[in-house]
Amino acid sequence: MLGYFLRRLAGTIPVLIAVSILVFGFVRLLPGDPARLVAGPDASEADVQAVRQDLGLDRPIYWQYAHYVGEIFQGNLGRSSRTRLPVSYEIGQRFMPTLWLTLAAMGWAILAGMGIGVLSGVRRGRWEDQGGMVVAVSGLSFPPFWLGLLLIDLFSVRLGWFPTGGYESPASIVLPSFTLGLAVAAVLARFTRSAFVEVASEDYVRTARAKGLPERRVIWTHTLRNALIPVITMTGLQFGFLLGGAVVVETVFAWPGLGRLLVDSISYRDYPVIQAEILLFSLEFILINLAVDLLYAVVNPEIRLR
Amino acid sequence: MHQIPRRIFIGSSLALAAATGARPSRAAGTTDLIVGVPTNLTGLDPADVNDTLSQSACRLMMQGLYGFDKDMNLIPVLAESYTANDTATEFTFKLRTGISFHDGAPFDAAAVKANFDRVTNPANHLKRTSLFAMIDHTDVVDPTTVRFVLKSPFGAFVPTIAHPSGMQLSPKAIQQYGRDISRNPVGTGPFKFVSWSADTLRVTKNDKYWKPNLPQLASVTFRSVPENGARLAMLQAGEAQFIYPMPPEMIKAVEHNANITINNAPSIYERYVAMNVMKHPYGDLRVRQALNYAVDKAAFAKVVWSGYEDPADSPIPPHLAFHVAQQPWPYDPAKAKQLLSQAGLGDGFDTEIWANTTTIALRAMQFLQQQLGAVGVRVKVTALEAGLLDSKIWSVQKPADSALQLYTGAWSSSTGDADWGLRPLFWTQAGPPKLYNVGYYSNKDVDADLEGALATADPKKRAALYADAQKRLWDDAPWIFLGVDRNLSAQSKKLTGLHMIPDGGLLIEEAALTA
Repeated sequence: MLGYFLRRLAGTIPVLIAVSILVFGFVRLLPGDPARLVAGPDASEADVQAVRQDLGLDRPIYWQYAHYVGEIFQGNLGRSSRTRLPVSYEIGQRFMPTLWLTLAAMGWAILAGMGIGVLSGVRRGRWEDQGGMVVAVSGLSFPPFWLGLLLIDLFSVRLGWFPTGGYESPASIVLPSFTLGLAVAAVLARFTRSAFVEVASEDYVRTARAKGLPERRVIWTHTLRNALIPVITMTGLQFGFLLGGAVVVETVFAWPGLGRLLVDSISYRDYPVIQAEILLFSLEFILINLAVDLLYAVVNPEIRLR
Repeated sequence: MHQIPRRIFIGSSLALAAATGARPSRAAGTTDLIVGVPTNLTGLDPADVNDTLSQSACRLMMQGLYGFDKDMNLIPVLAESYTANDTATEFTFKLRTGISFHDGAPFDAAAVKANFDRVTNPANHLKRTSLFAMIDHTDVVDPTTVRFVLKSPFGAFVPTIAHPSGMQLSPKAIQQYGRDISRNPVGTGPFKFVSWSADTLRVTKNDKYWKPNLPQLASVTFRSVPENGARLAMLQAGEAQFIYPMPPEMIKAVEHNANITINNAPSIYERYVAMNVMKHPYGDLRVRQALNYAVDKAAFAKVVWSGYEDPADSPIPPHLAFHVAQQPWPYDPAKAKQLLSQAGLGDGFDTEIWANTTTIALRAMQFLQQQLGAVGVRVKVTALEAGLLDSKIWSVQKPADSALQLYTGAWSSSTGDADWGLRPLFWTQAGPPKLYNVGYYSNKDVDADLEGALATADPKKRAALYADAQKRLWDDAPWIFLGVDRNLSAQSKKLTGLHMIPDGGLLIEEAALTA
């Protein structure tokens, strides 16, 4: 298992190199001169030229890439062309808010989503199932933008229970994590239910019932455990997406996360920040995929990792 | 730093969501001001920022030799007075005495020289170097007298010194932090820097401030809240005492709120449609006149700005120095059609309008499409994202390469002076990529006025030249003159003394909160 883990980890390096080349090329295909965007709306041509030299954008692209990679290997991600602060500082400031928001949203979404999914699966066709799926479909259909504003109006302006936004106190995380987690919970509920229903019709579940196992064991050990594989895959994917930052929720709740940083950086063609963020997201996805594979083995010992 | 404590994540987040948290911690006391702003700061080095918000943040902590009062009048701040020679090539400033920077370094002529030597040196790669490019060198005459020697006459020099980019940093801090001065600013202003994280700036009272009995606030916090509704909710919930901008369409929702005041103040943002005179048919004066007759400016204010927009009465807005009001272009579609017929365009023509992707710009373009359509001008509306605007307008190297026909945007002269309100937009040499004359307008008489007004420091001579330039431009109509924005903000009734000046900057020095 450890050997497998290390081999997979080493395998991420070529992927990251490929991603870095792709991202480096793609951001430079975007129209617009970053030097001019950074220099601002009333800069002179001389200012723009100064910024261009400062950012190294007057050099050939292969030189820029070689320089970039060389700096990365010295642990230097460069400076944001917009704020001129180190990229590591810019991203570092926003990584923890995004991580906390993701964990809080995923935490409740997994519990609620899987809970509703199992309940609907067990009580298939009854009112619990109908009700659960109405909740799930509504959760998916609610635009987070609108939901966020409604929550702010009710819980912050009228009731005063939670702050309208910001990253100030523990109470700040409640409304954004609820808004962000709702769609995830809904997806997981639908996924869990369908996986559960599928497994419940398998022969071995019938066998388990036939040999007189208590219903609780049939549900938890035989059915749910086997139904978990697709649910874990989905959870991993959702987790990866949320770690990439949630632009809408971050915007509505003024949450200083990675999503807004990426959007701001794209509109300013802030190449160093865009590159670093995409590399970070790629790394996160690779690690999550790895964790998902390991979890498969935990849930189902028949899966052997080599 | 304000990290969320780890312990709240022990246990399920569901429990967290269910728990009804106590009312969120508000600012510690009644003299702590929180301001809700729309975007993140880009830096705190006045010589290296170019957005009004970052400049407002700098103004909490730093000051210039000259500055602007709440009505955008030029006032001495760290200087007491100035004198200029007749040819506007030498400006000598007498400095106030007894002022220190927050780190204890004295404010004197040597400090001023250090600041201007820094910003004028291209090797420092600062964004505002070109604003001060006319400075040849700076001399310390004596500890309280500093003299600027210019490369060529520049009559608008004092407003340029008063620009937020001319605010003074402690020379000691510049030495100490180098480029990272941008997140460790040290000035002479009413507040001292505490922290700046991703979206929050905190400053605290400068107990040794040189103006007596100021500031009255213990601290100021800027929090960036991009969503209009959420920013307004902050004010309604008492989490902020001042927010801007106040979206005009939301005013109705709060104007009867007993705790909230809407501030409706003049701005120096002028909205215009530039016509590319190199492109058929905009080289024809009759066409440009027709388009000015074809647009109902009162309807523009109403439809696009919910009424919160003034009609333009000159190429520069009323709160800019040397503004002279002109006769308005009346709304007269019949006259517009007649002029188009005379220009041989009785059947109208097809054209395209460009602008950025903001809601306001889209609304403005649709409005213009309808208005011009009524006189037979068929307008295609195209919204361009910032990078595309850059490559299609601002970076175009030669007039012949520009595909621009109509462009609608806004301009604000950051020096408060007519020079920067006219020269970047109408001077023959101001075409992109050098400056912003996107219609490539060219008029020898206007050029002579603009150049002449820079060659003297005499306000009377400058006023006469700018009056002439405004008259010529108004009649020659290189723009469809649309309107001048209002600065809309909202605040708690407990707050007094916070002013939004016409350039959109905030003056917070005299602000106070009552319990």
